Amino acid sequence: MANFLQTKTYNNYRINVMNILKYTLMVLMIGTLLPAAMAQEVDNQILTLHTQKVDVTESESLDRGELLNKALDKIEEEYNVSFLYEDYLVEARKLNSELTFSDDFYHVLNTVMAGHPLKLKHLEARTFGIVRDKEIEEPLLDETITGRVTDNQGEPLPGVNITIKGTSRGTSTMVDGRYELLVPTLEDTLIFSFVGFQPQEVPIDGRTEVDVALTPQTYSGEELIVVGYGTQTRETLSGSVSSVSGRRMEKIPVTNMANSLSGQLPGIVTVNQSGEPGADGAVIRIRGEHTLNNKNPLVVIDGVPNRAGGLDRLNPRDIENISILKDASAAIYGSQAANGVILITTKRGSEGAPRFTLDVNQGFNQPTRIPEMADAATYMTMLNEIDNYAGSGDRYSQAEIDCHRNQEDPWLCPDTDWFGDALKPMSFQTRTDMSVSGGSETIRYYLSFGGLTEDGYYENSATRYNEYGFRSNIDGQLSDNITLSFDLLGRLEDRNYPTESAGATFRMLMRGKPNEPGFWPNGLPAPDIENGTNPVVTGTDATGYDDDERYYFQSNVKLKVEVPAIEGLAFEGTGSYDKDFRQQKRWQTPWTLYALDGFDSNGDPVFNESLVPNSDASLQQWSEQGSNTLLNVVGTYQQDLGDHSYSALLGAERQTFSNSGFWAFRRFFPSTQIDQLGVGGEDQQNLGGGGRRGNFPNEGARMNFFTRLNYNFQSKYLLEFVGRYDGSYIFPEENRFGFFPSVSAGWRLSQESWFRDATADFFDELKLRTSWGQTGNDRIDEWQFLSTYQFGGGYIFNGTASQSIYPGRTPNPDVTWEVANQFDVGVEASIFDNQLSLEVDYFNYLREDILWWRNASVPETAGLSLPRENIGEVKSWGFDGSISWNQQVNSDFLLNIALNGGYATNEIQYWDEPPGAPEWQQSTGRPMTIDGNNNDFGLMYNVIGVFNDQNDVDSYPSWPGARPGDLIFEDVNGDGTINADDRIRTDRTGVPKWNGGLNISGQYKAFDFVIFFQGAAGASQWVQTQSGDFGNYFKRFADERWTPDNPDASGPRAFQREEEYWISQRNTYFYMNTDYIRLKNMEIGYNAPASITDRVGLDRLRIYANGFNLLTFSDFWMDPEARNSSGSYYPQKRVVNLGLSLSF
Amino acid sequence: MKYLKFKILGILCIVFALGSCDQDILNVSPTDQISDDTVWEDPALIDLYLADIYRRMNHGLREVKLSSLTDDSQFIHGYGTIEIVQGISSPSNIGAWNRGDLEQYRWGHLYSAIRQTNIVLANIDEANVSDDLKEQVKGEAHFLRAFFYSNLVRNYGGVPIIENVYALSDDMLVARNTFEESVNFVVAEADRAAELLELEPRDMGRATRGAALALKSRILTHAASDLFADPIGGSDLNGYTSGSQDARHQAAKDAAQAVMDLGVYELFNRHPDDPATNYEQIFIVNEDHEEVIMNRYFLNSRDWADGYLPHQFNGPNGYRGWAGNTPLQSLVDAYEVDDGSEFDWGNPAHAAAPYENRDPRFYASILYDGAPWVEPPSFREPYDASGVIQTFEHVTVGGEEIPGVDTRNGPIEDWNGGYSRYYLRKFMDPTLPPQTTQETPWPVFRYAEVLLNYAEASIALGDEGDAHTALNQIRSRAGMPDITDTGQALVERYQNERRVELFGEDHRYFDIRRWKIAPQKYHDAEGIRITAEATDRRDRSTYSNYEYELFTVQSRNWADSHYFAPIPNDEINRNDQLVQNPGY
Repeated sequence: MANFLQTKTYNNYRINVMNILKYTLMVLMIGTLLPAAMAQEVDNQILTLHTQKVDVTESESLDRGELLNKALDKIEEEYNVSFLYEDYLVEARKLNSELTFSDDFYHVLNTVMAGHPLKLKHLEARTFGIVRDKEIEEPLLDETITGRVTDNQGEPLPGVNITIKGTSRGTSTMVDGRYELLVPTLEDTLIFSFVGFQPQEVPIDGRTEVDVALTPQTYSGEELIVVGYGTQTRETLSGSVSSVSGRRMEKIPVTNMANSLSGQLPGIVTVNQSGEPGADGAVIRIRGEHTLNNKNPLVVIDGVPNRAGGLDRLNPRDIENISILKDASAAIYGSQAANGVILITTKRGSEGAPRFTLDVNQGFNQPTRIPEMADAATYMTMLNEIDNYAGSGDRYSQAEIDCHRNQEDPWLCPDTDWFGDALKPMSFQTRTDMSVSGGSETIRYYLSFGGLTEDGYYENSATRYNEYGFRSNIDGQLSDNITLSFDLLGRLEDRNYPTESAGATFRMLMRGKPNEPGFWPNGLPAPDIENGTNPVVTGTDATGYDDDERYYFQSNVKLKVEVPAIEGLAFEGTGSYDKDFRQQKRWQTPWTLYALDGFDSNGDPVFNESLVPNSDASLQQWSEQGSNTLLNVVGTYQQDLGDHSYSALLGAERQTFSNSGFWAFRRFFPSTQIDQLGVGGEDQQNLGGGGRRGNFPNEGARMNFFTRLNYNFQSKYLLEFVGRYDGSYIFPEENRFGFFPSVSAGWRLSQESWFRDATADFFDELKLRTSWGQTGNDRIDEWQFLSTYQFGGGYIFNGTASQSIYPGRTPNPDVTWEVANQFDVGVEASIFDNQLSLEVDYFNYLREDILWWRNASVPETAGLSLPRENIGEVKSWGFDGSISWNQQVNSDFLLNIALNGGYATNEIQYWDEPPGAPEWQQSTGRPMTIDGNNNDFGLMYNVIGVFNDQNDVDSYPSWPGARPGDLIFEDVNGDGTINADDRIRTDRTGVPKWNGGLNISGQYKAFDFVIFFQGAAGASQWVQTQSGDFGNYFKRFADERWTPDNPDASGPRAFQREEEYWISQRNTYFYMNTDYIRLKNMEIGYNAPASITDRVGLDRLRIYANGFNLLTFSDFWMDPEARNSSGSYYPQKRVVNLGLSLSF
Repeated sequence: MKYLKFKILGILCIVFALGSCDQDILNVSPTDQISDDTVWEDPALIDLYLADIYRRMNHGLREVKLSSLTDDSQFIHGYGTIEIVQGISSPSNIGAWNRGDLEQYRWGHLYSAIRQTNIVLANIDEANVSDDLKEQVKGEAHFLRAFFYSNLVRNYGGVPIIENVYALSDDMLVARNTFEESVNFVVAEADRAAELLELEPRDMGRATRGAALALKSRILTHAASDLFADPIGGSDLNGYTSGSQDARHQAAKDAAQAVMDLGVYELFNRHPDDPATNYEQIFIVNEDHEEVIMNRYFLNSRDWADGYLPHQFNGPNGYRGWAGNTPLQSLVDAYEVDDGSEFDWGNPAHAAAPYENRDPRFYASILYDGAPWVEPPSFREPYDASGVIQTFEHVTVGGEEIPGVDTRNGPIEDWNGGYSRYYLRKFMDPTLPPQTTQETPWPVFRYAEVLLNYAEASIALGDEGDAHTALNQIRSRAGMPDITDTGQALVERYQNERRVELFGEDHRYFDIRRWKIAPQKYHDAEGIRITAEATDRRDRSTYSNYEYELFTVQSRNWADSHYFAPIPNDEINRNDQLVQNPGY
């Protein structure tokens, strides 16, 4: 009873930025409720208390120096009275003399009050108030302490609790991390605590300004984890969810978010296949691959699935949090959840003065790896070898070869480094972001604006990616219990490319013959390699332009009502409308190349100019648009009844989308100066329209109902049920809805007292959890159930083109969902004061009803174009987890080491496999090596060496026509001949089975750093270059090749393109292991001290340097994430970046 | 104020809640496809449907030509042709038969096309269109079905005859029909089409009565051949086990006669004074001219869509062509000297000037060293002043040995240089610059084939006079003296005449098989190595001292299995009732 005025909630409110509402309430309580309560005072008069004598034990006494409130508690107990007071008045006050309990109540009281500026007020019978006696000078004056709380990266932390040690007195920080607090003395100690961070005790030590940086905890049970349609605290979460904060993403200087995810979260796999600005996305897989069909996870941005533009171009500084739902708890997203769900939440404002931040970044890009190619002399020698093998003499004399080797004549004997000629050593990217956030009681806002520009690798690059975006997330508090939010995003992605694709240019760089020039010594571009393509030119704007502008507008309106009459009941309605446009214009103009036509009498070169590839200009234009509308309403109810906590969520949602586009082509423009569609020539015009390019349905709709029920007992036993009843336009009306349930349970052993006793409190947290459920995949071709006619290639009758139609497929009226049965079991533990935490999950999934063709059993004679039927079954399993360690090494040095990783593999249980294949080639029971178009890449010959000589050829079973220097294919079935039956099946694909990341971060005084290694293993890449007469060889091939003089070589002889059987037939020799470890990301930052920032009026000033893909360790000589067999692609980026971050 | 909030709340709740529950939103219709029902109600859509089936006939001007699976030419980029010419293709590696370029001879493609014709024939009677149109559509569908089956029979022998439209739940495992049944089916379909179709096409490019009868002539000529009189392996899937070959020859002759009797076709002869140009123009004139029984047409704007870029696919590398199908020495030597004698390297006069005084068709069909070709584009001009093919090994100018532009050592895209040193000319419009598109049609059936079929049957029946008449129509149109041989000599002259006249038109692959001369024809392929001297490499008139040497450009072999194409392994695995062709 004693402390009823005390703001009890004060201490228990755990606040983070996700919990702004509660923070506001707390401020309200401090500001209003307390003074109101004090207003109940009757008067200032001290009333006489007539007490009856009580029996007091003589021995009862309290020493001098005991806390006052302890004394008051004792008095209440001994004398049956009550005191009402504000805690802060008595906290930290101590008895100035020994207190002995006696009959004399007033004596006792006077002893207690002596020396303190307090006075008693008699409120009613046996009840006293204690108030401040303003007439008495306080001998120990309250001191004002100010300061700022940040995280270990210097980011201000709002909502941090600060208490004075030994009291419950305190405050919390504002939006900018600042606080102000009255303390009794400057000798006290402050305790800073915040969800997700280790509590820290800081002695004031006589200072009046105390700045503190908090250390993140490796495990925080109170951390809020974003799950579908809501959040859950980590301690009561029973599903398998990983999350990473947006702040981590900011440290990775890439312009595509997909690449930032790499290695950050256990269970996520990314493969970045290109570094081309604007086209540098990554394949993302969650826990590997589980189906033959579409394997992409669902991306949900601020509650809206499948937003146009995806996650690639989100501004990392706008991101609050990224969560991935890895197990069946994703069932809340039902029919699209089977491949996992990525949930992205953006930042919102919180109450406080506006806080501006400004980030300026300057990055320097270059390819991670350029393949080393053979030099001119080697290349020419290899062509001679090829001629010799074909029975002809050398095509190049030794003198010619030497001329190139020694570069005796720059005009006639070049030794060209094509990549070096076409690419510059460094290209630039810059990024500028600004944001302001803050708010009042009624409105909170987060506004940001960002722009970036990224240059291409080419010299005089025409490639440039520009992006401008803003985000405005606004929350209005309409009343105590109604919040209306309005979010708006606008983004322009402007991609500029040369008219020749990067694939074509890099293909030509790979083919560039080292004995031919890219540029002449005088700087003029040399003739093309093919079709007008000289790669030193086609990366520049000499070819015209290809400008691709994409506009995105995305909006969310959300209304949240907490029903006042029923505590714990709330409704939330969301409406979202997205619109996007794409305008692309490709204007191709002829460019000039110069063929050397000998030398004139002065010895000056004479050139023959040619316009390539055509002498006229042409224009192609595309226009596309899409829209996406989502409406949902969600009700939640939450109730705690003693030890039992219940919560329930029930919602309904609908989403519709539509896309359309058209294009037009004209050529024979009268001038290269007029790039307008209206003025092209009449011949060879073309146009088209209808659907949009890419994997967009023209129209579609989904609707669904979902629920989540949670129960826990003392936060010890956790139970969750998730269900979604999902309807999709992709299926026939009668099969349109599916139900996807999941259940999960958790047991927090660390909450069991017997366990704590048995383990001597070793574990701060130990949780076992498991889940099972079913999710769906509806991302298959649409209209499988309809008998329709599609438009075909057309035919020419009477000299005019006719359209043509054909039955698209045989309808499958029974088409239905692909179902994933997902089982997961995990353990979470935290020990050593939450310094070390560990989380490990094992998963086992069975994907059933995979939509696949029965093409292995339906004969072609039926003539059927087969629909997909629900026949496939794939099992997948693996584990993933993380372990992290946080240590405050000393007061200056904080260190965090976190390792995460996972293994995922799969096995086809059933699909329609040709029954006649030999056992060792069957894919059933083996990992999937089939792509979505039913191409099987898994079969290949096993290479067991190189035929050293004719004797070798004669002694092994060999391919017809094999000769020394060829690769030896293993005669797997031992029948003495090499044929298709001798192929083996590999279990390696382009997606690595092992993935991991090691994150070492820390802070030393004003410096902070991150060192992040990422690695992957278990993937392979087929290599097949267009070498020979056609183009150059990898240096590695040249170095290792067999020649008659080097019969013991490890590699095969020089070859022409795919003419040799060991090139055209896939084999293990050219299936390269792409395991790698790379220094994926590193950052070093310096936070200017307050002495500097205050002088210039800043809250924060940080300078930093960071990088991406800084070092790569791999046996593969292209980038290990390359997924292009011939190197004909724009290589991945290495980025070094310098940045400056200000806030005020 | 408070009430206002509740009103907003109430309205929004209702909007969200109701909006979320209307299931009709899921009834979305495809916007880029046409529903089943509408097609058979609308004559325009029926025609679009037929157009797609026509498309499945494909054409012989795609990147890989069927001639490159024979002794006529070599496809220099490989693409599965090597497996066929070396006799090593197998059911698990069917080589070039996998290519879309040759899909009109591929098992799966043809059965898919046949299904489309079956769908037409199953639906057309119930369609809501005029009887006249029904007759026409049925006629075209029967023709198309016969066409597809004829290609199956020619490539695989007896095949399953399927006339019904399978549903997913049907039993689809069927055995092969005999060769005889299959041929008879094609004949019956062609007859049915001939009855239904008019002589004049509905549109230029459609099937006619003439096309149906020409198809019948083609299949009967094929069926009457020696290969099927004594089937390989003795199986009735691969030939006749009863009946008389003479009767089959007679049927073939009658079928050819039926086309001739229509009286609407004659040999193209618009340039009687210039037989080479005349022969060239047969294929260039872009219309249903007098010799055309059926053509497939093209439009510039649709080049890639139709897989049709003859200049690009086959042009010399020195013109930035890809030189795909390069004629072989064997074909070049097949062109007679213009006096009607056989070309002979042993004859010093012939060997000294091999490209002079040859059959005019040689000049219209083949680009050889020294052949005039199209105006040199700017990139070629430094090496060639007037557009003359340079396939010499080297020309010696002032002691320097300069390789020919159109070779694998040339300065322009040498990796596309041919090996045989010859390039294709037939079908390529010489008035058009290289790398441009063109619109020359593909001859599906032309009258010369029918005359040759007639001659072949006549020879077999001993009616040598009839054979001479037919052959010499073609000879005289070509500017060549008449053939008067008899007996085996006539057979050989006929076979050579057919080879030369129909080069590149997808006949020889089947001809050398059905005549059972394939084992002699699949020997190592030869090209020619030429050297010369000159004072100006760009000026051909300064060239002299030519020397010619034949050499092997591709090793080749024959296997008897290759009389018939292999049925793909997967297909055999799917259907245990299928019997593989002999030898695989």
